[in-house]
Amino acid sequence: MTELGLNIPSLVAYLINFVVLLGILIVFAYKPLISAIDQRAEKIRESLEAADRAQEDADNSRAEIQAQINEARVEAQKILDQARSAADRFREERMAQAQEEAIAFTERAKSDIETERDSAIRELRESFGELAIDAAEAVVKKTLDADSHKDLIDQILEESTSAGGK
Amino acid sequence: MASSKKMIKYLVIAGIVALLVTGFINGAIGSSIFGKERFLEKPHIALPPQPVFPQSVRDHHLGYSDEHSYESVTKHQDDSHGKSDGHGDVHDSSDHKGHDDYGQDSKDGHADEGHHSTPLGLMDFAITNTMISSWFATIVIVLLFVLGARKKALIPGRFQSLIEIMFEGVLGFASSVLGNDMARKVFPVVATIFFFVLFNAWLALLPFYQFLGFVNESGTIEAHFIRPAGTDLNMPLALGLISFVLVEYWGIKSHGLGYFKKFFAFGKILRGKPSGIIDVFVGLLELISELVRIVSFTFRLFGNMTAGEILVVMVTFLVPFIATQFVFGLELLVGLIQSIIFAGLTLVFISVATSHEEH
Repeated sequence: MTELGLNIPSLVAYLINFVVLLGILIVFAYKPLISAIDQRAEKIRESLEAADRAQEDADNSRAEIQAQINEARVEAQKILDQARSAADRFREERMAQAQEEAIAFTERAKSDIETERDSAIRELRESFGELAIDAAEAVVKKTLDADSHKDLIDQILEESTSAGGK
Repeated sequence: MASSKKMIKYLVIAGIVALLVTGFINGAIGSSIFGKERFLEKPHIALPPQPVFPQSVRDHHLGYSDEHSYESVTKHQDDSHGKSDGHGDVHDSSDHKGHDDYGQDSKDGHADEGHHSTPLGLMDFAITNTMISSWFATIVIVLLFVLGARKKALIPGRFQSLIEIMFEGVLGFASSVLGNDMARKVFPVVATIFFFVLFNAWLALLPFYQFLGFVNESGTIEAHFIRPAGTDLNMPLALGLISFVLVEYWGIKSHGLGYFKKFFAFGKILRGKPSGIIDVFVGLLELISELVRIVSFTFRLFGNMTAGEILVVMVTFLVPFIATQFVFGLELLVGLIQSIIFAGLTLVFISVATSHEEH
């Protein structure tokens, strides 16, 4: 085997060399760099998660806003409906009231007219009485002949009708 | 503008082809066809790693006596072949093991070996050229990773990103085999194995691995100052042992002492059932296969790295320029594949050892 180069001190030297190299690399290269790689991986994972969360939040708030918009739309529709029905109701009420008022007004007008008519009739009657009295006085004052009597009556009647026609 | 760019492209291609042809003519193939002198000497490949320090040990193992030491680290320039007249086939070929002989006189008492390096004894201690390479790779890895991990920034720069990509690649690979939790526990050892094998293989393609060395009087490199650690049997063996220990540790940790029932399955036969003999035999096979893993780990990496080294050296010898680039490409791939295999098999063995299926 020595012809091939087997040599125990060399072997030991290589073993020691390897162990020393291993020790140096573990302390100064493997541990720090692997931990740096791990930290970076952790950081990247966290960042991705944060990005996911932000995305999720954005989605959520978008959905929330959409829901609010929908709700508002429904609310507005409702308000509009209410307003419309209120307006309808109000109009009907007003219509009914107007009708009532109109009826009341006509009634009042009618009663006023009747009152007016009654008073006119009464006045007419009163003035016609006076007229009749005046005519009777005039007849009585004049010499009463049949013709003049008749003419007089006609004349008075004529006057009274023209006065009553006013 | 465009035509001048095209012109430059053609010039570069022509230059590369010219270099390739020059390399072919001056390399080993061309020189034997045209009878010219070789550009490079026949390479000297030693299977065992060569001791570099201390110098006395190096000289001894290179076949020089202590008082006969040579210039220390010297750049082996490409023109060194000029100094080396008379080497090569001057002397009768007294070489063995396929080594080139450098025509050394046998005055130094190592006549039978020439100046070829002899391997270290089993217990001899010396700093070998492969060890230096492994330290070099270690330093590069530590600098790269520690600097890369220094800031630990949440938003990484380019350099940190590069290191993180490497880490996450290994961690992802481990997770795909073992699942997330277990992968994190074994990651440090598996990643260190992976990067150690990878950097040792890739850094070995740097040019100074080939030209830095200890030369003899004729200017030839007798022993490289630095040599890929994968070509030293001890390096893959050390990694194989670490992998083995890791696998057994997790096996025991997840099964308790019951883990050993897999290997010593005497339960049935002690209860008097004759069919238990099969269990005992299967357990024995498991035990052997568990131990053989160390050997397979060792020789797989050792074989691949050594073959790659020999291929680089031989192709450089045959065609000195350009052709080696293709081998370098291949070696980059081999280095990556070997490191993935080493780390991957370790993961798979851990996965087998920790799985809770009935045996």
